Amino acid sequence: MNERERDVELPPELRQAVNDLPRSIEPAEDLWPGIKARIRAGTGDAGRGTSPHPSRWWIPLAAAAALVLAVGVRYWLRQADAWEVRPTAGVPRVDDAPLASRGTLRVGEWVETDDSSQAVIAVGTIGHVDVRPGSRVRLVRARDTDHRLALAYGVIHAKVDAPPRIFFVETPAGTAVDLGCEYTLETDRNGRGLIHVTGGYVEFAWSGMRSVVPLGAYALTRPGQGPGTPYVEDAPAGLREALVAFDFEQGGADAARRALAAARAEDALSLWHLLTRVEAGMRGEVYDRLAALVPPPPGVTRASAVVGDTTALERYWSLIRRIEFRRVILRGIRDIDPSTGLAR
Amino acid sequence: MATLAFALSDAVPAPIADDLVRRAQAGDEAAFEALYRAHVGRVFALCLRLSGDRTRAAELAQDVFVRCWERLKSFRGESAFGSWLYRLAVNLVWMANRGDRRREARVLPVEDPQPLERPVESSPVALSIDLERAIGSLPDGAREVFVLYDIEGYQHQEIARMTGIAVGTSKAQLFRARRLLRERLER
Repeated sequence: MNERERDVELPPELRQAVNDLPRSIEPAEDLWPGIKARIRAGTGDAGRGTSPHPSRWWIPLAAAAALVLAVGVRYWLRQADAWEVRPTAGVPRVDDAPLASRGTLRVGEWVETDDSSQAVIAVGTIGHVDVRPGSRVRLVRARDTDHRLALAYGVIHAKVDAPPRIFFVETPAGTAVDLGCEYTLETDRNGRGLIHVTGGYVEFAWSGMRSVVPLGAYALTRPGQGPGTPYVEDAPAGLREALVAFDFEQGGADAARRALAAARAEDALSLWHLLTRVEAGMRGEVYDRLAALVPPPPGVTRASAVVGDTTALERYWSLIRRIEFRRVILRGIRDIDPSTGLAR
Repeated sequence: MATLAFALSDAVPAPIADDLVRRAQAGDEAAFEALYRAHVGRVFALCLRLSGDRTRAAELAQDVFVRCWERLKSFRGESAFGSWLYRLAVNLVWMANRGDRRREARVLPVEDPQPLERPVESSPVALSIDLERAIGSLPDGAREVFVLYDIEGYQHQEIARMTGIAVGTSKAQLFRARRLLRERLER
């Protein structure tokens, strides 16, 4: 590499963002019917119309198609029941059997690692999950539209290149829903957990409650209480403590006010989540603080946010996530104003 | 560049993939459909980023699989099937882009990237919008080399072999792409 190339080497954050781009994108519609028609035309099937028995020429084709369909369906059903798993350290176990080399994880089976073993699970064809030491993970479902694991305890690191909402990880505190991302999820044996997102977004949902955790953010999870309010990696300790009190210790309005006081513009992500979590009477207070730190985009008013207008809240969220994205990927390159997302 | 522990070409366990390729080479459409299902996402992503247009990408991806079917017998297993398929895709899209560009040159100013910019709302990964938009706004040649080098992981020599451009041109386009990308993201 010469000097000129070194000069424009991508900065680490941007390099990471490029690496995180999905390698696989599904087309909006299935291309196979068109391909099938074209390859059949190209292999001479169209010429069969010259058969001396035109009324019956389709019978062998129909039989072949039925056979192909049966074989295809059988193949896909068989594929759908299992994913590949392999050890990356030590000897993990799959349903109590030692896994010395590449093997198969079927629906309902567990992968278990001890202190010195690790495994990697291929999530169908869309990504992989590293199962770190001291973990127990079960394959719940393996369908094209529903790739689902359950983490009983331990730590997993998931990286998925797929459209949103087809990869899920169930935990004792709720379900992590992939929105196109990379993340680390840990859960202790009491079901208390933490999610850290390192690419894209994850939605963590429990009993109608949800937290959207973007790149560079964390959220705590607790069984019976669901996901806590997300916070950014460099959130002040005072804010994190206030959020724990609000989310899990019945800290109520006092804890929420402590969170508002500790929040900076960089913490807009947390305040946006608080907007819909505090009592209705306190929403105006949260909105005022959020709007002072990150001015709302056009079309978002205090009244619309306070009544929980979904369109307004999504618009505000869109602004906040874009600012946070720029803040994270341009860290060390440009000084990004956390109130606007523009370079200062 | 980051790679999945299981590359997409390996996502179907190797013995099954080999069997599928052998059956497809013998004319088994069901086996070829299975190969299509395993690789269409990666091929479509490549076509989308190289062409900058979702509709065009769907047409190109279809062309890639038809061409793949036609040339399958020439695949000798010297590389992974996926690698062979993606090279075929790069070749086909590159040639198609050159043809398209000759036609578009009659009506579009070549230095104006806007008309070729991909609509960002169709991106399946919301977080990638800023970056995808910036990549989509790069001039054609720079975007193509950036996609092949920085996203797909090909080396300059491989890009030169696949596309017929000089290694120096590939390096220059990468230099230009990275510079423009930084500028556009830092704005």
